[in-house]
Amino acid sequence: MAYDPDLSFVYFGPTKVIFGNGSSAQEVESEMGALGCSRAVVVTDQGIIKAGLLEKITASLGAKCVGVYSDIPQDTGIDVVNSASAFAKGKGADIVISVGGGSVIDTAKCMCILMTEGGSLSDFEGIQLLTRPQTPHIVIPTTAGTGSEVTWAAVIFDKSKGQKILIVESFNAPRVAILDPILTMKLPLLLTASTGMDAFCHAVEAMTSMQREPIADALALHAIRLLYKYLPQCIQNGNDLTARGQVQLAATMAGWAFGNALVGLVHAMAHSIGAVARVPHGIANGILLPHCMVFNLSDAQDVYAEIALALGVMEKGSTTEEAAQAAVAAVFAFTQKIGHPQKLSEFGVKEADIIKAAELSMSDGSIINNVRFVADASEVLEIYRKAL
Amino acid sequence: MTAYKAFTQEWMDAWKQKIAESKEYKEIAKNWEGSVSITVNADPSKNVPQPVYMFTDYWHGDVLDFVICDEAKAQTAKFIMTGDYARWKQVAKKELDATKALMQGKLKLKGDLTYVVRNVKTVNKVIDILTEVNTVFPDEA
Repeated sequence: MAYDPDLSFVYFGPTKVIFGNGSSAQEVESEMGALGCSRAVVVTDQGIIKAGLLEKITASLGAKCVGVYSDIPQDTGIDVVNSASAFAKGKGADIVISVGGGSVIDTAKCMCILMTEGGSLSDFEGIQLLTRPQTPHIVIPTTAGTGSEVTWAAVIFDKSKGQKILIVESFNAPRVAILDPILTMKLPLLLTASTGMDAFCHAVEAMTSMQREPIADALALHAIRLLYKYLPQCIQNGNDLTARGQVQLAATMAGWAFGNALVGLVHAMAHSIGAVARVPHGIANGILLPHCMVFNLSDAQDVYAEIALALGVMEKGSTTEEAAQAAVAAVFAFTQKIGHPQKLSEFGVKEADIIKAAELSMSDGSIINNVRFVADASEVLEIYRKAL
Repeated sequence: MTAYKAFTQEWMDAWKQKIAESKEYKEIAKNWEGSVSITVNADPSKNVPQPVYMFTDYWHGDVLDFVICDEAKAQTAKFIMTGDYARWKQVAKKELDATKALMQGKLKLKGDLTYVVRNVKTVNKVIDILTEVNTVFPDEA
């Protein structure tokens, strides 16, 4: 899939990234000052506090930390954002610092909007409605996979509607992401594998998206290299800070890649099986990715051959098709090597679930970006069956 | 083929008729419920002296209201799309993909984005059909 002759795109990645062991405590105060801010509210969850990941950060901020809001559930909601924003406003905060995973980061992104614009979050449901920069946000991620630290979308549960709402705003991209590998050392093995595969999937799908472009490709390809080399090392030894750091960087690069080039069939299917059978997103992505690569093989041979080269599995003298097949085989083997779940049935998924999910996938927006046109739900169902 | 001046009621009627005649649209849009308003920001230099407000309404493959309206009516739509004249012209001429335009901030959308994402094929089909209407744009007249 060569680039269109009339290739035209906008690459957007405004977040400053700071990386290094111990960087969260060392750099946060000066970064806050560089943004012209002096009163920070730190947003986190109870798990982060119990794991002792917050103390050094708040100690480093000293009196500049005017409050800690830690009542963030796993799936954050509008009520949480409203409450956290009111807390921050009450403290006179001029910056939000989020320390945590996707739910914490998304809450903080939405708080920044309400702290700047006021009103209710539902007023901002949509895409690119904002017209000015929002309250500054520094992200300190404690997982490595979502890429949320550099993307400008937030997903929030709206209890009144019983569904998630999506807010996509370039003006609300985090200003700074501080990647401190030490904060990811305590991630359990399964979470390390599944968040790592989430990132791997972001990278592969960005490269095979119809919105593919060279800058995103470069980021995605290197993210793939790093994940392939270092994710197994994290699984083998969770305290390997070099490996943890490289995986964290890979997740951020993959975040930039898919934030610009978008995702495809794997995400459409993962969203759908998540909605029908509550399979966690990263795990669904990890199980489905190699099966979807098989499906896409006919239309993505040159991209998969590039991936094979990056993975070091391209035999000398092999054809593009052979190289592409080697990439797919390598991804299957990779998921086994890192101990990632292999079958959806391990999560209680049944035939009836995949029938529903296949129909649902056809109306998921990600499917239109997929390199191979998906004609009907029977094609999706066939992929689900292979992964069941 | 008759040419229609963009952003006039006659132009909207022609667009509506083409949608209504499309069997493919009827199938793709069978799950879509609700109205979409389109606001074209004023651009006096391109012969668009005032903002143009359009209200379009769809229901399970059928096309309902399709009218030029005032700002108040536009604000009542389930989805409100806004953009500069130059961007809408690019979309209408298929020079700019609407999804890309939204992602890049060239167009704005207020409303349930997850619904739009799930039904993006419907949105794309409506725009595809628009490109079939022989249109004369204000700065080309």
